Amino acid sequence: MCGRLRTENLSGPDLVSLMPLRVRTRCTLLLPVALALAVGLGAPRASTAGPVSAAPVPSPGARTLDDYRHFRVASIDLLGRAPTRAELAQFERADFDWNRWVESHLQGPAYVERLTRIYMDALRLEPNVTFTAGPSQLYRQEITGPDGKPTTVLYRAGQRRVREATDGEFCLSPDETGLVVRPQATAIGTPKKTPKKALDAYTVSVRPWWLYRDYASPHPTQRYLDGFTHPDAEYRPVDALLKEPDGTPTTSVRICREEAQEPASGHIYATARAKPPTAPMTVSSVAASPGATTALPGGRVKPAPLDTPYATKHKGEPVACDTREAVSMSVDCGCGHGLDRCMPNSGPGDAPAFQYPNHMPLGPGLPLDDANQSAFRWYPYWWSREAVHFLDYLFADDRDFREVLTGKETWVNGPLAQFYKTIQRGSCCGPEGAFGMHAETEPLFDPARVPADLAPQDVEKWELVPDRGAHAAGLLTMPMYLEKYASARARGAAIYNDFLCKSFSAGQAELAASDEPDLTKRPGCQTCHATLEPLAAYFARIEPASFVYLPESLFPVKAKTCKKDKAGKLNGSCNALYDAAFYDVDGPTLRGAHGSLPHADSGAAGAGADITRMPEFASCAVQRVASSFLGRPTTSDDAVLLEKLTVDFVQSGYRMRSLVRGVALSDEYRRANNDRGASSVSPPPPVVSPKDAR
Amino acid sequence: MRRLGLVLPLALAACAAATPEHIQPVLGGPLAPVSVVAMDTAPKEDLRMVPPEVYMRTYMQLFGGLAPLDAQKAARGNDGSQLFDNWDAYVSALGFPDYRTDIPRQTQTNALMVATFERLGVALCDRSIEHDLKAKPAHPVRDRVVFAFDLPRPGTMDATAFSPRFDVLHRTFLGYPAALAPATRVPRFLQLYRDIASTHKTADPKSRLSPDEAAWAAVCYGLVRHPEFHLY
Repeated sequence: MCGRLRTENLSGPDLVSLMPLRVRTRCTLLLPVALALAVGLGAPRASTAGPVSAAPVPSPGARTLDDYRHFRVASIDLLGRAPTRAELAQFERADFDWNRWVESHLQGPAYVERLTRIYMDALRLEPNVTFTAGPSQLYRQEITGPDGKPTTVLYRAGQRRVREATDGEFCLSPDETGLVVRPQATAIGTPKKTPKKALDAYTVSVRPWWLYRDYASPHPTQRYLDGFTHPDAEYRPVDALLKEPDGTPTTSVRICREEAQEPASGHIYATARAKPPTAPMTVSSVAASPGATTALPGGRVKPAPLDTPYATKHKGEPVACDTREAVSMSVDCGCGHGLDRCMPNSGPGDAPAFQYPNHMPLGPGLPLDDANQSAFRWYPYWWSREAVHFLDYLFADDRDFREVLTGKETWVNGPLAQFYKTIQRGSCCGPEGAFGMHAETEPLFDPARVPADLAPQDVEKWELVPDRGAHAAGLLTMPMYLEKYASARARGAAIYNDFLCKSFSAGQAELAASDEPDLTKRPGCQTCHATLEPLAAYFARIEPASFVYLPESLFPVKAKTCKKDKAGKLNGSCNALYDAAFYDVDGPTLRGAHGSLPHADSGAAGAGADITRMPEFASCAVQRVASSFLGRPTTSDDAVLLEKLTVDFVQSGYRMRSLVRGVALSDEYRRANNDRGASSVSPPPPVVSPKDAR
Repeated sequence: MRRLGLVLPLALAACAAATPEHIQPVLGGPLAPVSVVAMDTAPKEDLRMVPPEVYMRTYMQLFGGLAPLDAQKAARGNDGSQLFDNWDAYVSALGFPDYRTDIPRQTQTNALMVATFERLGVALCDRSIEHDLKAKPAHPVRDRVVFAFDLPRPGTMDATAFSPRFDVLHRTFLGYPAALAPATRVPRFLQLYRDIASTHKTADPKSRLSPDEAAWAAVCYGLVRHPEFHLY
């Protein structure tokens, strides 16, 4: 049992390598060496009033209980676990060099995790959100095949189709399947054998990316666990994606023909369809009266979608197939080759797609559990891992810590590469189209910078992207941060709390009734919002609960084209993005920007630059790390220590290693633990009589 | 009297017109001490809890460097002893934060946490006994993580034989030699050993551990549940 380690370790440049450490522990029976040492009674500790002093280095051969405790504390902080007996034996050697020991442990997975934990405890960058972009999410419906056996068919919700009977719905009509198919719920109706002619006409078989390693080739053969024999250990599709309803292995998936199309762009579709004369049936009435027929083609319950004015006006114009418009406005946009622009699903709604852990506090490769997880949580899971990887990278490489808010770089693996290359584009566009943006023009992560050699199954292969694009700013422009802190105010408040160590506390003010829209002026609110609104303004160009960036060229901070109507309101698209409450001769103000128009234009990158220039940024980092290592909040008694650490931290170029070194070698760290065992009690001091003192 | 009445106002006027005398302060030297007491002015806080990540890593290292799910499997075993549930059941009890739901890390122990430590500790000690002392063939001492010693003949454990073996466990779990512990620690654990060994002989139903093994397991329980293991 001793020394046996997991062998399914991570490969590639993953910074977070396996824990526990790859050290074979030597389990030796040790004589109590300390019995031969002087069981020293520690000398009285000097008062800390005065300059910071380094911790006294234990003299060889005279280890006291305090020395052992100090070593244990440092091991817990820098090794991430208690010391082994072999490590204690090393500590007891006469040639043990304390400073060298500390220095050698200011690196490695345990040190990195120690620091990342400080900031993850503050930022809590794990998702309690789901994510599904319209053009990328597939749903799966089980129908009865021509032979009477169950068959599953993949489709997208709201997909436009040429056939009126199925336009905007599942590609096989209720008349053909007996079912009214609903993407977010179980289908209703009585399934019947689907005619073979319909099945062949409106569906095709595809070998998708989640099953085939070589899905990009014309004839994929490397199926998961059969040909694709060494997938990453953490890449595990659920059984429902790997097996047919009868238990046989899935070798290809049946998908609606429109969804199987591969081109990167399609065309806007308009039908000139007239509104149906009869009132549609509702789903509940169909459920209540099985077999009841409708006057609509194919037995559909709702009429086919009508053309929008935009579609009518722009019929035939190109549309990118990975944008939100692609599903609702074209019939020739699909999921791409191998369906690589789409996410699988094992059912309707939020059904399982992949297996991965819920709890992984010791890092990847060391999960505490395993669970089937829904397709909607796949990308949020990897967003969180990206944020952790980024922090790990900053600490492992001892980068300038200011990059946490300013860095252009990030790390991506296969799922993230897929997300940034194409999936993220499905979040845009809706009301943005009215301003001329039908696809993101300046994304926070430029898809052209995604590494080309990462396949969606490469979950354990991480690559550095040195520069995400012009608007990138450390954690501030990562999806996990933007989704966790979904509003502009939340994003600004998180910076204030976590990187300046300040909090908002309302002053004692009478909250008189007020209709002042500007909270920086409203009595009672201004004590907090005078600071919060300008911070929030940095994020005015990143949409709430999203990561869509609104470029200045299309979305000026003041929109002259948006006019109030007679009722004093803005129209739909203008109102979605601009705030009529802040309206002047130049028009309404971009939502969230009123706190500071210059901040709105400088964006998250401006926030990072401005915040890291403030002296509180360095002092906050020092305070967080020192407090974490000392195991207590810092007080005024620590002022001298903190001041020295801050000066050193800044002079070192904001390097965490310098900071942790300063803390670990300080006297305060050695004495942070208040426990004193009986054998380390100091002898009573000598009594000095007044006569002797003179 | 009349003269006094004339002189007195003149004297008073003269006094009023004179520059007031200022007594300059003179700094005194340091007060002579009666006694000198060394005073530690460092801010004081209670001992803090070992972070759950550290507890888990230490635990797995004591289990022989296994990954969590492997350690879970080994701890549960298949002997029906129900020593272990699964890590998922213990996550919140151990004080792990839940970043998804913004539940912060627990920094103080509570009754549920202490009970969890006890359960995990019993699983570790019993499985370690099986691996280190009961395996056939026996593992070399250098390959044992916890009970890195051999036992003398049954019934011959005295203080001389107990101390060095206890020191091995003391270093393993608490990180320092038993000689530096409070003077009563070794005698108390020796008494525990003796009590368990003697009552185990008459245990009903019979245990799969011998009296000596059960006694060492009890010593292990005592150390793995000791506050000094969980606090630092």
